[in-house]
Amino acid sequence: MEPLEPEDALRAQLYRVLADALSDAPTGGDLKRYTGLSGDNSPLGRALSTFARVAAGCDPVAVKREYQELFIGLGRGELVPYASYYLTGFLQEKPLARLRQDLSGYGIQRSDASSDPEDHVAAILAAFAGLIDGAFGVPLGLEAQRDFYSRHVQSWMPVFFRDLEGAKASVFYASLGSVGRVFLDIEDSAFEMI
Amino acid sequence: MDDANKVVADRRNFFKRAGATAVGVGATVATAGVAAAKPAEARPADAMYRETDHVKRYYELAR
Repeated sequence: MEPLEPEDALRAQLYRVLADALSDAPTGGDLKRYTGLSGDNSPLGRALSTFARVAAGCDPVAVKREYQELFIGLGRGELVPYASYYLTGFLQEKPLARLRQDLSGYGIQRSDASSDPEDHVAAILAAFAGLIDGAFGVPLGLEAQRDFYSRHVQSWMPVFFRDLEGAKASVFYASLGSVGRVFLDIEDSAFEMI
Repeated sequence: MDDANKVVADRRNFFKRAGATAVGVGATVATAGVAAAKPAEARPADAMYRETDHVKRYYELAR
């Protein structure tokens, strides 16, 4: 097996940070880890530095409340972070079926511990991170990555991250939204080079 | 350099310019793992939100 390119290792890590922060409200320990992120003067570097600064200024209780308001709410949160909802306006529609099919082709399936659909933003990001760095076996080639990316990430997540940046309840998650938006811009351009 | 290697090199340069290799995420992020492909804990979102009088009342009280 070829060694993972350093930029691909970093991409996988960044996808995991996004997945991790979106899968559940961060604990105090998570927030502390995020404060260790830093970047250079590029747009992505600045977005990461801002995220780290915001994480340093947030307490876990406030962020948990923010997570509730954004994603859970009364009946539903301000945002509905599922691919199917973004693409069709309904949950558990065809985009979820297509995602399941693609994931099962790579031997990935929903954990028994979870009853949530796989097209939650955090699940897709975590799956893609694993496909990039081979956490599920062999790292995916760039062309297969591009296919997965265009179907399940590019098709809706840039809009989602913009919504996250602009959401009313969003403070900590607004800064995470910026990281996601800027990072996916870079990914768009990088996949065009293949 | 064959085409595949050229793509890899071009991408590496691109990511460098974009700042995506300069981020200090190394050890920090390695520990921030989610169980891969385990969908996030989230609410079943089948109960669609409706802003009834009861909900409006809640909003008023919650201010």
